[in-house]
Amino acid sequence: MAEASVTENVVAAAPCTAACPVQTDTRQYVEFITQGKYEEALELLLDANPFSSVCGRICHHPCEQQCRRSKVDAPVGLRQLKRFVVESTREYRLSRRKPIAPTRKERIAVIGSGPGGLTAAHDLARLGFKVVVYEKWHTPGGMLGTAIPRYRLPYEVLEEDIDDILSLGVELRTGCEIGRDLRIEDLRREGCKAILIATGLSESRTLGVPGIDSTGVLLAIPFLRTVRLGENPLLGDRVVVIGGGNVAIDVARCARRFGVEKVSLVSLESRQEMPAWEWEIEEAIQEGIEVQNSWGPRTVFAENGTVRGIELKRCTSVFDEAGRFSPRFDEGDVLTLLSDTIIIAIGQRSDLTCIEGSAVKVAGDRLEYDPETLATTETGIFACGEVVTGPGAAVEAVREGHRAAKAMLHYLDTGEFLRQPPSELLALGEMPLETAEKVRRRAPVIPELISPERRVRDFSEIERGFTEAEALAEAKRCLACTTGALVDEAKCAACLTCVRICPFGVATVERTAAMPQEQCLACGLCAAECPAAAIALKRFGTNQMRRELEGLLATGDEPKHLRPLIVSYCCLFEVTSRRLVRAEPSDVARTGVARVMVPCVARLSVLDMLTPFELGADGVVIISCMEGDCLYPTAEERLSSRVRKAKSILDEIGLGGERIDHWKTETSAEVSWSAFWEISKRKLRTLGG
Amino acid sequence: MKSGSNLERVLAAGHFAVTVELGPPMDCDAMVVLEKAKMLKGVADAYNITDNQTAVVRMSSIAAALLIAREGLEPVMQMTCRDRNRLAIQSDILGGAALGIRNCLCIAGDHQSFGAAGKLKGHPGAKNVYDIDSIQLLTVLKGMRDEGKQQGGDPIAVRPALFIGAAWTPMGDPMEFRPIRLKKKVEAGADFIQTQGVYDVEQFQNQMRIVRDIGLHEKTAILAGIIVPKSLGMLKYMHNAVAGVSVPDALMKRMSQAKAAAGDDKKQAKLNQEEEGINIAVELIEQVRAIPGVKGVHVQAIEWEHKVPEILKRADLLPRPMVGAAETAAQGG
Amino acid sequence: MIVGERKPFRELKGFIEDYRKVMIVGCGTCATVCFAGGESEVRVVASALRIAFLREGKEREIIEDCVTRQCEPEFVETVVQKVNDQNVEAVLSLACGVGVNFVAGKLDDVPVFPGINTKFFGATVEPGVWVEMCAGCGNCILHLTGGICPVARCSKSILNGPCGGSSDGKCEVSPEVDCAWTLIIQRMKKLGTLDHLSQIIEPRDWSTSRHGGPRRVVHEELKSVDAANQQG
Repeated sequence: MAEASVTENVVAAAPCTAACPVQTDTRQYVEFITQGKYEEALELLLDANPFSSVCGRICHHPCEQQCRRSKVDAPVGLRQLKRFVVESTREYRLSRRKPIAPTRKERIAVIGSGPGGLTAAHDLARLGFKVVVYEKWHTPGGMLGTAIPRYRLPYEVLEEDIDDILSLGVELRTGCEIGRDLRIEDLRREGCKAILIATGLSESRTLGVPGIDSTGVLLAIPFLRTVRLGENPLLGDRVVVIGGGNVAIDVARCARRFGVEKVSLVSLESRQEMPAWEWEIEEAIQEGIEVQNSWGPRTVFAENGTVRGIELKRCTSVFDEAGRFSPRFDEGDVLTLLSDTIIIAIGQRSDLTCIEGSAVKVAGDRLEYDPETLATTETGIFACGEVVTGPGAAVEAVREGHRAAKAMLHYLDTGEFLRQPPSELLALGEMPLETAEKVRRRAPVIPELISPERRVRDFSEIERGFTEAEALAEAKRCLACTTGALVDEAKCAACLTCVRICPFGVATVERTAAMPQEQCLACGLCAAECPAAAIALKRFGTNQMRRELEGLLATGDEPKHLRPLIVSYCCLFEVTSRRLVRAEPSDVARTGVARVMVPCVARLSVLDMLTPFELGADGVVIISCMEGDCLYPTAEERLSSRVRKAKSILDEIGLGGERIDHWKTETSAEVSWSAFWEISKRKLRTLGG
Repeated sequence: MKSGSNLERVLAAGHFAVTVELGPPMDCDAMVVLEKAKMLKGVADAYNITDNQTAVVRMSSIAAALLIAREGLEPVMQMTCRDRNRLAIQSDILGGAALGIRNCLCIAGDHQSFGAAGKLKGHPGAKNVYDIDSIQLLTVLKGMRDEGKQQGGDPIAVRPALFIGAAWTPMGDPMEFRPIRLKKKVEAGADFIQTQGVYDVEQFQNQMRIVRDIGLHEKTAILAGIIVPKSLGMLKYMHNAVAGVSVPDALMKRMSQAKAAAGDDKKQAKLNQEEEGINIAVELIEQVRAIPGVKGVHVQAIEWEHKVPEILKRADLLPRPMVGAAETAAQGG
Repeated sequence: MIVGERKPFRELKGFIEDYRKVMIVGCGTCATVCFAGGESEVRVVASALRIAFLREGKEREIIEDCVTRQCEPEFVETVVQKVNDQNVEAVLSLACGVGVNFVAGKLDDVPVFPGINTKFFGATVEPGVWVEMCAGCGNCILHLTGGICPVARCSKSILNGPCGGSSDGKCEVSPEVDCAWTLIIQRMKKLGTLDHLSQIIEPRDWSTSRHGGPRRVVHEELKSVDAANQQG
């Protein structure tokens, strides 16, 4: 009989996926983590985002912002989970590196080795093109490599991602500036059929206030590059940073790490308006940086050409009615800050040297381009990233890199331009409050940052990643949005059982049953009890489990199983490491225990408890989580009733209900499970065959 | 006179009537019946022969009725709805009347599951009939007697002369409805009523008050049921397991004290309780006799029939009045 | 709905164990709702039987199926097709007795065994508890008794009740059975129509019930226009 059809009906995406600029199937990789499938999770991550190591550190995680768990207690730590995946699969990641021999004749040039350019290079190399990336600096990575300090993003982490991409066969030429060392026409002559300009916003903007040329006034990007090179920027005792964005914050925090006691950050915006990420601002304040909001620079004071201080004027508003940047000041309200170093971090501008001699036109300080085709005014030359969009986040650059690759592929295949209008995934709606209230609260696992005092001493990474146990505990908090129950209306008899059973009050019946995806938490209790077998869950379908069992128990040519043979359904959420999660057929033959991990064993139906006996098992063991730990209210009682029913059926057919044991984890899975199996085996031996 | 039965005449003459219950055996031993008949001759105005009582198969009420009629006792035949459809009922009525039986008590009958109780296996799997209920049964009998018609409408030339009785559980559940049900029975044709055993006289008095208010006591002759208790155990059983019977604490206490007085002597305890039981029975008879509207008593001494004469004597109900003796001679006996 | 209960496995196994290829068919309507013979139950029965045969070393093929209703020709036709296509030797139907009858009728030469004991027409009084409420007597008198059926719910089908056997609102037959007449009296009291119960309900014409013989209902306007298509 057909399994109730599941996937087609889900229209909305999980909000984390919809929020991700590259639409990473976030929910899925979190599920993989719970299943111990770290390698599969890595593949999923890299498929969407070649800069997964980087993003696992510094992504601004719009996914977490949209995580529906926030309504219950706190969002799932998705970024940290991503970091966990890349950290746990290093060897595997190295082993999968393989150069791809070009299958296409066309040669492609990418100008700029930031996340946008390298992502495009990655995609195009995988499609069989020969790609050369030109980088004006001697180290690749764009802003990731130069502007983000290593206490946030260690260089080795960036290298993981870049080396992966280069290992595909992408050629990287550092220290080669297009427009100066080579020109676009040279690239064309070399055979490049398509060129991508991904030069970003690599230079700092400066201010036009008096005294700006004094010694001691630095620009943010050059400053950060100095830091990157490991040189001492020779700051004074009092540093003032002008700017309210993430770069300004990074600059200020670096300054502190050079031993500067007094670091002030002056921004036009109010605290709420500041464009920097809120957590960055928090951490900066913890590190002793003084944030002065709603001030704008007026004059830099210098003595003998050297900075002595800065006069600020009150900024009364930053944006006009239309929301455009148009600051207004009160010249009469001034503030003077003494300082010997002023670092300007008010924004970046592009370096458009590369277009020299080409037909690529400029619009303002950016390139003129079509945002849907990514084409510039010169045919065959495309552009992506901040050089055309203005400031954006790293993961957005990755998205643009993907789009650029698609655009260039289409152009090379057909000579035409592919329109890629912005696409947004329809996200699952908000979780209703009544549902959120019923969800069992679980505090998020948040590894503590190093204390601020310790942090400012050097550039060591301030955040640590999850341990395996922490990652599994955090992944367990995911509500598995969109994988909930779906009803096959043809089979549903509207018996109301699901309505009565659902612990969250989600199921309703009109002509047939329905579980609104906005509310369903995928506990599986309804599916286990439905008399019409009309409910299926995308998460953990029964047929999948049966196939898994058949695979595990297949004797075929294998040596005969150790008897008694037990199938043990174990609660997936109790493991603290993946050792217990993955079971090989050889394990089964050796130990006599076939483990099937189930995300909450309360979803097991009576049939699930009988099936192992059909397949030749001698006994079934069901191991729930620890007393009181279950994620779902009423699940423990429901499971117990079903176990009783299964036992009575076994009694009726003469096999004996004692062949099913139901245990609750004690202390931990690693400690108690093997003991349970032993006890059950012993009992089965006395029962004989 | 509707039937000319002795019971009818005794009541018509204004005497306090006495009926006594006689249970037939579970086999075809006529001697058992005859011996009970001999024992009880002369102590009552009419004798009820139960009809597969508590759904236990016994010699049929009609057959046993005929046996006692031959001994000079006037039978009250019982007809339950459980075992017969309307055809069999009417057929048995005609047969009974032809044999000279003139009193018939119409009851629903305990559900067949009752037959499997204690040591008995009974016939709990039998199909029950209940084609008509006890009230409908009364209308059928009345129709046969007064209109000369079968229930389906066909005419009856020689009508059965029957004194029609019905059972009543005055303290049954829900109690407020019981007087209304009595009314229905009277309207349906009940000439006399035999109640379920009364122990709680005060409650019975209350119900009788309501009955008098509706005037039912004049339309039908109510005979209060007296079940002679034999032991504390029996009283407890009556109270707990028999619907519509409640035993007041005072009586329980008396019986309990009687038992305790014998100490460890089981034989003596049995005798004490039996003696107390008889005392209680006599008192109950006297108490219900005093209630206006109660026209007689229906005494049940299950498997203790030989004590009935003594009880009735002590209750000053013997000898029984002779009213129109010539007409009590059984026909075809 | 029609309420039934699955027969003990022992019995089911006894019916089919001599056939090598058996189909178990469930019913998606009443049998599903009362957890007696829906698709889930079919799977469980199939699994249990397979386990039992496995233990005995008997090779048996058990096919599972379930249709919307087994009392409807179009739905049963799919079962017939499947039985013929797959050379099924015997069918175990988990539908109510109606379904078994109907399927057996369509599958003339293949034995059809009853998997459940059909019990009554009833309602769900609480999740997991179904109680008999209608006797299908063919002449409904619920207007006389406040909507509570004395034919189905009084153990003696008394129409002028209660008898003397009720206590505390429970029937003499079992303390789990409510005395229907107590319920009727309470209901009619609430409705203000208690005095209606003073009227004697006459002996009933039972010929409209099963006592009159197996019954039939016809809607002429729905009968097939093409006489050749009419099925018996």
